Amino acid sequence: MLDNVDLDVHEGEVVVVIGPSGSGKTTLVRCIDQLQPIDSGAIYLDDELLGFEMAGGRLRPLGELDVAAQRRRMAMVFQQFNLFPHRKVIDNVTIGPVESKGQSPADAIRNARLLLERVGLGDKLECYPRQLSGGQQQRVAIARALAMEPRVILFDEPTSALDAELVGEVLEVIRELARDGMTMIVVTHELRFAREVANRCVFMDHGRIVEEGPTAEVLNRPGSERLRAFLSELLSPPALSAVPEKRDQTR
Amino acid sequence: MIRSVAARRRSIPTFSEGVSVDVATARPRVHLWRIGATVLLLLLAARFMAFVLFTPNFQWDVVAQYVTFPTVLHGLVVTIVITLSCTGLSILIGAPIALFRLSPLVALRAIGAGYVWLFRGLPALVQIVFWFNLAYLLPRVALGIPFGPTFASWSTNDLITPFIAALLGLGLTEAAYMSEIIRAGILSVDPGQRDAARSLGLGPTKTFFQIIVPQAMPFIVPPMGSQLIGLAKSTSLVSVVATTDLLFSVEVIYSRTFEVIPLLLVACFWYLVLVSVLFGVQVYLERRFSRGRESNAPGWFGRRAPTLDLS
Repeated sequence: MLDNVDLDVHEGEVVVVIGPSGSGKTTLVRCIDQLQPIDSGAIYLDDELLGFEMAGGRLRPLGELDVAAQRRRMAMVFQQFNLFPHRKVIDNVTIGPVESKGQSPADAIRNARLLLERVGLGDKLECYPRQLSGGQQQRVAIARALAMEPRVILFDEPTSALDAELVGEVLEVIRELARDGMTMIVVTHELRFAREVANRCVFMDHGRIVEEGPTAEVLNRPGSERLRAFLSELLSPPALSAVPEKRDQTR
Repeated sequence: MIRSVAARRRSIPTFSEGVSVDVATARPRVHLWRIGATVLLLLLAARFMAFVLFTPNFQWDVVAQYVTFPTVLHGLVVTIVITLSCTGLSILIGAPIALFRLSPLVALRAIGAGYVWLFRGLPALVQIVFWFNLAYLLPRVALGIPFGPTFASWSTNDLITPFIAALLGLGLTEAAYMSEIIRAGILSVDPGQRDAARSLGLGPTKTFFQIIVPQAMPFIVPPMGSQLIGLAKSTSLVSVVATTDLLFSVEVIYSRTFEVIPLLLVACFWYLVLVSVLFGVQVYLERRFSRGRESNAPGWFGRRAPTLDLS
């Protein structure tokens, strides 16, 4: 559930969205990617209204094929990776450009190789997703997103499904994308990572944006009681580091 | 020192005794009752084999004589043809019905649900007889536009041969079960897969055929295989409308020679051969469609077969 969310993201900006579970962070990115309908308001990408067209002086929802065409200009990285398990790693990365953008398979494969090397998986082209660790799978998912040459990448808690020791490798890839000037909206619980890469931080609660501003300012001087409570919850022991440790029960 | 109840009954070494023990030196526990049970079962199996082989009334020589008899082989071919064409028909009708039931359109969902309710609800035998006697209800069948012109029409008696009645009765019933199998298979695919495909800008058709269908297949093939094996056996129902299938062909012979048991054994033999072949096909298809996931086709009774071991 979202309520009165007003957010501008500029080219090259990295915006981190934080908030307790159920606060609408995931819904926000899913709405932007047109995976969930919105029933009021408007979402624009590069000045273009998403999901609706003007017909006879009134707005009307676009057909699925036109929505698909608009989605081609964005990409999304999911919490559960959502790689296609019946396709090899290389085919996971090429399916978007080939089937959706009409790129020639040869070009797509060449490009996919480069992207997979960039995320450190140049030797896994012929593997099936289940043969990879969670961190590797998520890096394939990032390569798959990059293959679409998107204007913006939406990350939906990209490290939440990973074991603690695999979080770093995924964040490192996202950090590099930030350095290269990729526009990104990242839903995450990794506060240290947020401080490092995000220009702006958005704190959501109960479907509303409660606070928004430069990352350091929002995280260091929380203006609202709710954000203070949320931050102290995240920072309190036993999760002293931003990475929650898995505690071993047996000795 | 508190010791377990087991220690009161058994001689269990204690740590404080200071005698060093190593479980690697243990000899395996002998399951006496397992050995006893195996011996007993082998004896019973031997007795059964002796019964089958040495009871004269089985008339194995008659079985051998008729097993490749031309009319029996013809009946086998008819049974195979009915099995295969009913399979084709059931997929051809079942797949659209499954999609109807998953459609956002309420009218289509209602048609799909109605079809499954009707054709899964009626016994196949009743349907076969019904289709065979369709001429009482509709003397002529016509092709045309509803409430509009007619292009062609046929006498129902000419159209509905015993074979067609069998095909309709079994095929339409199978289609209802098949549509449920296909629907369940499609619903088993993680919704995240659809999200990922749509997020890459794939349209509905490509998402369905390239992402959903290949992943639904491993869920569809195993139950479909069992369904086909059931169908192969159900084809024997068609003998009631005098279709010359395997059962009917042996019935014709034993009604003349009165060698009932050996001729039924001939039919049993061929049904088992047919079902074994279908089982092999099912195992092959399961392997074929389990690309990218662990093979879910374990052994049947051998070493790899799953067992319930509570010991």
